[in-house]
Amino acid sequence: MIGNKVSRVEQAGQAGVVRIKWIPKYSAMERVFHWGHTVTYFALALTGMILFFPFLQPIAQGESGWLIRLTHRAAAIAYGAFPLIYVILEPRRAWMSLKSVFKVSRYDIDWVKGMVPYYMFGRHDAMAPQDRFNTGEKLNAAVIILGSVVFAVTGLIMWFGKGILPIGVFQTMVLLHDIAMIVTVCMFIVHFYLAVLHPLMWAGLVSMRFGVTSAAYAQEHHALWYYGPEKARETYEAQKAEQAAGQES
Amino acid sequence: MSRLAMLIDESICMGCRGCQVACKQWNDLPGEETVQQGSYENPPDLSPTTWTRVKFTELIQGDSLQWLFLTLGCFHCGDPACVEVCPTGALKQDPLLGIVTLERELCNGCGYCTQFCPFGIPRLDTDLLSGEGKASKCNFCQDRVTNGLSPACVKTCPAGAFKFGERDELLVKAHARVEQLKQAGFPDANLYGENEMGGLGRLYVLKERPSVYGLPENPQYPVMANLWQDVVQPLGTVAFVAAALAMLGFYFVARRNIEMEEVE
Repeated sequence: MIGNKVSRVEQAGQAGVVRIKWIPKYSAMERVFHWGHTVTYFALALTGMILFFPFLQPIAQGESGWLIRLTHRAAAIAYGAFPLIYVILEPRRAWMSLKSVFKVSRYDIDWVKGMVPYYMFGRHDAMAPQDRFNTGEKLNAAVIILGSVVFAVTGLIMWFGKGILPIGVFQTMVLLHDIAMIVTVCMFIVHFYLAVLHPLMWAGLVSMRFGVTSAAYAQEHHALWYYGPEKARETYEAQKAEQAAGQES
Repeated sequence: MSRLAMLIDESICMGCRGCQVACKQWNDLPGEETVQQGSYENPPDLSPTTWTRVKFTELIQGDSLQWLFLTLGCFHCGDPACVEVCPTGALKQDPLLGIVTLERELCNGCGYCTQFCPFGIPRLDTDLLSGEGKASKCNFCQDRVTNGLSPACVKTCPAGAFKFGERDELLVKAHARVEQLKQAGFPDANLYGENEMGGLGRLYVLKERPSVYGLPENPQYPVMANLWQDVVQPLGTVAFVAAALAMLGFYFVARRNIEMEEVE
């Protein structure tokens, strides 16, 4: 089954799941958007590095430097097109995703508290119930969305405003573009670790590839999404009570 | 050899634009088609093919008219911001002569030099969409001065407004000339470029305040260039390495603990 442990809910005997029940999580468009954005982000980060690392100076020079700049511009168009196509073709899903990314509740604070024991030591006795995206995924998405807006605005100004706008504006754009790059690359490193390298976290990669997740995994890791707010809260309170009782005895 | 400079005495310049022509001739730059704009000033601005240009200013004070001339071109700053932001090494400052040169073969057309120069000197001929092209600016006739000749503009000046040589010697001459002008009825006469931007390689003796000629009174090294190159980029590198190492560490911690728990 997907999910690394038998969930608490199942142990309580509420659902004796043996077969894997797959439920849809990401639409085809969302997966194309995610992987398209990944590939173009890579292309942009790598081509942009010629302005960042002085040791890349030899390839930044002359004709090759210009071709790298041209690639950066071409990739930037695709990078901007993916989210726009998503919003145009699936506006309702896009709006739903956007809302859930920027929705913060006390569960997020609880989740952050439980993050270190879970990700470093594998303890997940009572994790706060999560919506379709968990707090970490939301943080990643928020940083990438805001970073991409900064990239788009500053990038377009540098591309089309050079020589028209005052040089102070251009200089500020260069700096903001650089800062957005540093923040998102660090976020990307963390995202790559949690999504691909972390020993417990392979369910997300399966979902992003095939668009589905197992019901058992969703029950345990995305209870708010699976059960809705009320049952998720009840289950969470019960788990916490059970855990507290276990510690006392 | 110590730092070189050219001293342009704008009280002597007669606006013949010989320097403009000599610059184009020596550097093999084509002429430009322009339209009459009601002044002898032509072409109207520096461009990828015009690296030296005489700027004409008509200064009206009461019923007297002064016609002021200013030979514009690269200032060859002591602290050149363009060199700091150039990612290709096409822009260099000669460590001995102090002149700032642009090697066009190395330029990739990014245009950062044009956006960080406080005088707005370098010019781009890049295509807006593809970004293909190069930057251009005065090279202080590097080929001539490294072979013992003076720059083309200096050589050609019929009025003798240009002086060329070691910077320290020119500064002494410039101060003497400014004093002379002050006594001759130009109280605002001044020397431009002694300390600006780490000391300029293009020094002017001016009859009026620099702003009258359209020069910045107090040109500043762009703070953003330092912030970008000396603060943000090193911090960024540290952040990349820190993030990668932290994730590697977490990986080993998680690997060990999670396996141990499953053994239990």
